[in-house]
Amino acid sequence: MATHWKVRPYLLTGGRTHVRHRLLVHTLVSVPYYDAAFAGGLLPEARGLYEQARVTRSVAELSASCGVSLGVTRVILGDLAASDRVRIHPETYDSPYDRNLLERVRDGLLRLA
Amino acid sequence: MTACSGSPEGETVPTDGTVPTSAKIVVAGGFGVGKTTLVSAISEIPPINTEAWMTAASEPVDHLDPGIDKRTTTVAMDFGRRAIADDLVLYLFGTPGQARFWPMWDDLCRGAMGALVLVDTRRLDASFAAVNYFEQDSDVPFAVCVNLFHGRQTHHLDDVREALSLSPEVPLLAADVREPGAVARALVGVVEHTMSSTARQ
Amino acid sequence: MRRILIVGAGQCGLQLGLGLLAAGYEVTIMSARTPEEIRAGWPTSTQAMFEQALNTERAQGLNLWDDPAPKINGMHIAVAMPPGTMAMSIIAHLNSPGQSTDQRVKFPAWLELFEERGGTVIYQGVTTGDLDGLTALLRYDLTIVAAGKGELTALFDRDVDRSPFTVPQRGLSVAYVHGLAPNPSYPERSGAFNGIPGLGEMFAIPGYTLSGECDILFFEAVPGSPADIWQKRLPPDEHLSLMVKQAREYAPWLGERCDNVELTDGKATLSGRYTPVVRRPVAQLPSGGLVLGAGDVVISNDPVTGQGANGAAKMAAAYLAAIVAHGDKPFDREWMERTFADFWETSGQWATMWTNGMLGEMPEHAARILMKATTHTPTADRFVNGFSDPSDFQHFFFTPEAADAYLASIEE
Ligand SMILES: Cc1cc2nc3c(=O)[nH]c(=O)nc-3n(C[C@H](O)[C@H](O)[C@H](O)COP(=O)(O)OP(=O)(O)OC[C@H]3O[C@@H](n4cnc5c(N)ncnc54)[C@H](O)[C@@H]3O)c2cc1C
Ligand SMILES: Nc1nc2c(ncn2[C@@H]2O[C@H](COP(=O)(O)OP(=O)(O)O)[C@@H](O)[C@H]2O)c(=O)[nH]1
Ligand SMILES: [Mg+2]
Repeated sequence: MATHWKVRPYLLTGGRTHVRHRLLVHTLVSVPYYDAAFAGGLLPEARGLYEQARVTRSVAELSASCGVSLGVTRVILGDLAASDRVRIHPETYDSPYDRNLLERVRDGLLRLA
Repeated sequence: MTACSGSPEGETVPTDGTVPTSAKIVVAGGFGVGKTTLVSAISEIPPINTEAWMTAASEPVDHLDPGIDKRTTTVAMDFGRRAIADDLVLYLFGTPGQARFWPMWDDLCRGAMGALVLVDTRRLDASFAAVNYFEQDSDVPFAVCVNLFHGRQTHHLDDVREALSLSPEVPLLAADVREPGAVARALVGVVEHTMSSTARQ
Repeated sequence: MRRILIVGAGQCGLQLGLGLLAAGYEVTIMSARTPEEIRAGWPTSTQAMFEQALNTERAQGLNLWDDPAPKINGMHIAVAMPPGTMAMSIIAHLNSPGQSTDQRVKFPAWLELFEERGGTVIYQGVTTGDLDGLTALLRYDLTIVAAGKGELTALFDRDVDRSPFTVPQRGLSVAYVHGLAPNPSYPERSGAFNGIPGLGEMFAIPGYTLSGECDILFFEAVPGSPADIWQKRLPPDEHLSLMVKQAREYAPWLGERCDNVELTDGKATLSGRYTPVVRRPVAQLPSGGLVLGAGDVVISNDPVTGQGANGAAKMAAAYLAAIVAHGDKPFDREWMERTFADFWETSGQWATMWTNGMLGEMPEHAARILMKATTHTPTADRFVNGFSDPSDFQHFFFTPEAADAYLASIEE
């Protein structure tokens, strides 16, 4: 699997391997399986973000739709991701300048032109 | 205050198991050059406006009264979204015109595939800060686009290039940013510029 | 485990963050820039650091550049009066060499080290709104703002009594170069400090940058003087040629060393200016959260004495010790105020007093000390070792009484 273009993939923390992704404003986030009981126990900000992320959307959208600042959004999403409650979508491409990605975006835009 | 608007709907995770990914193009330029208009022209959602706020020191520093007289300034950004394929979403981020808070520009530009700096030929200076930023402080490839406010070109592009002292590598485009097709073509220009300027690396 | 949030990944924030991590704290750093962006960016300082500050890094095992960085063995201090004519020359030796590792080299390496060691980094330019929300979350036991001279400093009140200036005292101009010829007056690797009364100061400092060993040309121009041509950002090549031109005119002995200089990289210059200021150490956010300022956020002196990074390192060490010593007790306002006050008493005030003094006209007693130093090596050495420990100046330099007593003591 390709990893985020700016991150060395696996870091050992607290005895468990996990992928640490940088949360860019356009990074997509989703909830892999929704757990209503878990949601009920969350503080308001975290709960809002968790609920909203049931639909895959970007960090910036989550922040805006919940009225939570980007900084707080990133911290909370990081916590939720560390316990696998939300999924931070890895970049499928090594870099935003990946040829294949650029071609796909260009072709998509040409269909709108 | 932190309650979210509405409940989530319209599952966008593809059922075939592929994980959607996203790409980003940044739209920059001074106040009123047409960033929000451009984003709305092509976005499938209404542009989302958000504001971040900063404390601003009371000027002049002399009569500083500790704890009070602090002002707050906000930095607005707006963004839109367009699905390019089942598993690929393009985000457009409109960044604030002024050089108010540089770190925010860095944040919005990080991981962008390209940027479009919009200019209004009647007020070129409104976009100087944005052009300078992309020339000197960011590695994101960028193109400049003249917003044809009345669908007409009132200035020769060569004159605009000179007035902005744009280097020859930077593409200079023109578009009526109310028109989705024109916006798409301008964005194609950005993507193609990224293709040619990063192919060498 | 206690959780600490640090905003700003510079000398102070990173050194403190790495120290806290090693002490078993859970640390999050919010950094406006990624390691790649810092490396690919413009220089931010001339960051010459001296024994005491370097030792705080060594104590934490963060001295990764002791080998590759050229040693600053001492300093050649000259006064050009009138401009272009060397009126005074002092050769001064440091007890232990200083060094200047480009912050574009050091910060990314420390940031990566911090992540490797299990620290959390969030890449974001933090706003007041973020800080308000983050402190209100009560997720962190302590939040420290070490965001340099950035906009977040506006949260902290200027300490009027400790901040004599309301406008910038110097226009600053920096170029990182390869090819600077050795100083014939001090051929070993050494710094050069040229004072040009009325115009400013010109430094040349051995450094270590992205492309290896280098020298850093650093001019401080008195605003409004003919030397102050650094108002706007120039293309790097033009910037360097102007610096060389100024060196040839005001300090030709430095100008002669510049015949073969070239910029170390495509973004090797820096220009700008700021008002020196000391701020109150604690800020309160609208929702009630308290944050403690560190580094340049609270003490931002003019770089003429090169004390900023030194002070930031010393403050990181002092805060680290204070945090650990505080154990599980709450980091309340009283603790924050006291932690900064202790630092100010033992360290900050001396660097500030020395720096602010160096910006004005030189008092007669100070001139006498420097005159003595031209022929009396121990005096020269004592002066230059003040870069490492500026508190020593109170004993022989700050006041006419201290200077007289010192000069009398060496006559015996
Ligand atoms: C021209 C010049 C020459 C100098 N020469 C010397 C010298 O020779 N010796 C010396 O000791 N000192 C020198 N200094 C001073 C020295 O560089 C600083 O004092 C020192 O770097 C301060 O450390 P700090 O950690 O407080 O801040 P910094 O090292 O500036 O680090 C602050 C960090 O916070 C980040 N940041 C800012 N705002 C935000 C935000 N909102 N959110 C997140 N991150 C943010 C910045 O990007 C930066 O990385 C010089 C300074 C200048 C300008
Ligand atoms: N006639 C015309 N008006 C435009 C065009 N683009 C933008 N505008 C108008 O110019 C104003 C500023 O545009 P806006 O998109 O809000 O600018 P922003 O500040 O850069 O986001 C709005 O009133 C728009 O309706 C255009 O192409 N033609
Ligand atoms: Mg707008």
